[in-house]
Amino acid sequence: MPKLIFISPDGSKREVTAESGTSVMENAIDNGVEGIVAECGGSMSCGTCHIYLDEETFERLGEPGSAENDLLDFVNSPRRPTSRLSCQLKVDDRFEGAIFFVPESQY
Amino acid sequence: MNAMANPSEIPVGCPMHQAGARFQPFEHQGMTDFYASVRPEVPIFYAPSIDCWVVTRREDALAVLRDHERFSASNATAPIVPWPQEMHQFLQDQHFTNESVQVACDPPRHTRGRNAAVTFLNMKKFQNYEADVRALARSYVDEIRKSREEVIDLVASFTYEYPAKVAFLLLGEKELDARKLKQWADLRIKLIFGKLSHDQQMEAARDLADFWHFATALVDQRKKHPGDDYPSALLAARGDDDSVLTENEVKSLVFGLLLAAHETTTNAAGNLLFELLKRPQTWQAIVDDQTLIPNAVEEGLRYATSTIAWRRRAKVDVEIAGVQLPQGSQVLLSLTSANRDEKQFADGEIFDIGRSNARSHIAFGNGIHHCLGAPLARMELRILLEELTSAFPKMKLVEEETISFLPTLSFRGPDRLPVRLNG
Repeated sequence: MPKLIFISPDGSKREVTAESGTSVMENAIDNGVEGIVAECGGSMSCGTCHIYLDEETFERLGEPGSAENDLLDFVNSPRRPTSRLSCQLKVDDRFEGAIFFVPESQY
Repeated sequence: MNAMANPSEIPVGCPMHQAGARFQPFEHQGMTDFYASVRPEVPIFYAPSIDCWVVTRREDALAVLRDHERFSASNATAPIVPWPQEMHQFLQDQHFTNESVQVACDPPRHTRGRNAAVTFLNMKKFQNYEADVRALARSYVDEIRKSREEVIDLVASFTYEYPAKVAFLLLGEKELDARKLKQWADLRIKLIFGKLSHDQQMEAARDLADFWHFATALVDQRKKHPGDDYPSALLAARGDDDSVLTENEVKSLVFGLLLAAHETTTNAAGNLLFELLKRPQTWQAIVDDQTLIPNAVEEGLRYATSTIAWRRRAKVDVEIAGVQLPQGSQVLLSLTSANRDEKQFADGEIFDIGRSNARSHIAFGNGIHHCLGAPLARMELRILLEELTSAFPKMKLVEEETISFLPTLSFRGPDRLPVRLNG
């Protein structure tokens, strides 16, 4: 079960053990990581589960799909090269030690 | 219960049967008390008058909303009283070709509309409208001041038209008749969610056709002269490619916005103001500290939800809260009840603008149909309160007992809100 690291805008760090097949968003919500809102519940409809990945993990996962890519243009905090929607990231072995930076705001 | 639930076999006297017998789907008076009384014991019951299984708890409502594979949205806007053949024929003769594109359709069709709509209906785009929305809100405040009346109706003087005018901003049309749009929309709501007689249906059909012609004319105009507006954005997303989106789908999306962009916001604004003004100390709190307003808006959406219930249909045999429902069963998700569910909201029956998880309500739905206009509605409600608390800090509700609610299955909003402006 991979360990995910969430870093809040204030620099505080949270380590979470994630089950394979769950989404990064679900792990953040279930573990009370603040700043991941996920208002639509993970259906790629609201753009409020935006997260920045560390570069290595981003590379490992490959580019977001086209619908996610479109929605990322409309997120509240600035989109960066490693931006993703955390509801679309399903945990597997590639996520071991992944670092996720929570944006300043989601709405 | 393991066998398929059969409404006629629910034992008389059991809590599920009693809930179904007591439930009055069109009566707003006492509705929240009813749900509070049944929710602990009855997560789901059958309502014979509307042939729907009513879901009362948040976790079950969420599960259904998120499960678009097994629950179809196709019945979301089906008329409660079926439209007569005569009306269908009339609409056909009027070239009324509106089709389900978003709220009442499923993927992959839903995905087409959504992908196009989101290019314009999104947080980033809405932020550009903040100054215009505020100017609009101030224009209503100015009109109220100019009237020199001491007692006014906030619905008639502000919240009825205001969201429609915001919708016009999205459409790129400033000089439209907001009253006309509101009347069209009110009729459309009654045609779908109300109980109309045959004659009333036929009368409403004529207005429905007018309403459709208005939407199609707007799209035809933008084809010739594109602007920075919703119809133009849809046409650009379509790019003359029917495999992306047909022109009729564009027209249907615009027709949809003409209702969705203001009807529920008018209701939400009325409900929010009603709850705040009923509690002078709470009103005073947001007058004294406007930073409390965004959470007060969320608490208003939670506590006095304006879309009170929403429908789905089971595509296959399903189970909700331990009850087996056969394919084709209609489900009515009570958002009103879900938003007061004690499991999520401690003391859910209390209106508390400081509630830390107020935003966990599902007033805007959930899943793939989550309301695209939610950020805009929130902005409109916040600005409404900011401007009213600044202009009329001593405002007080009067004649509270005369306020009533239109009897529809899915929507709730006060018909009037008489207030004394200066206490």
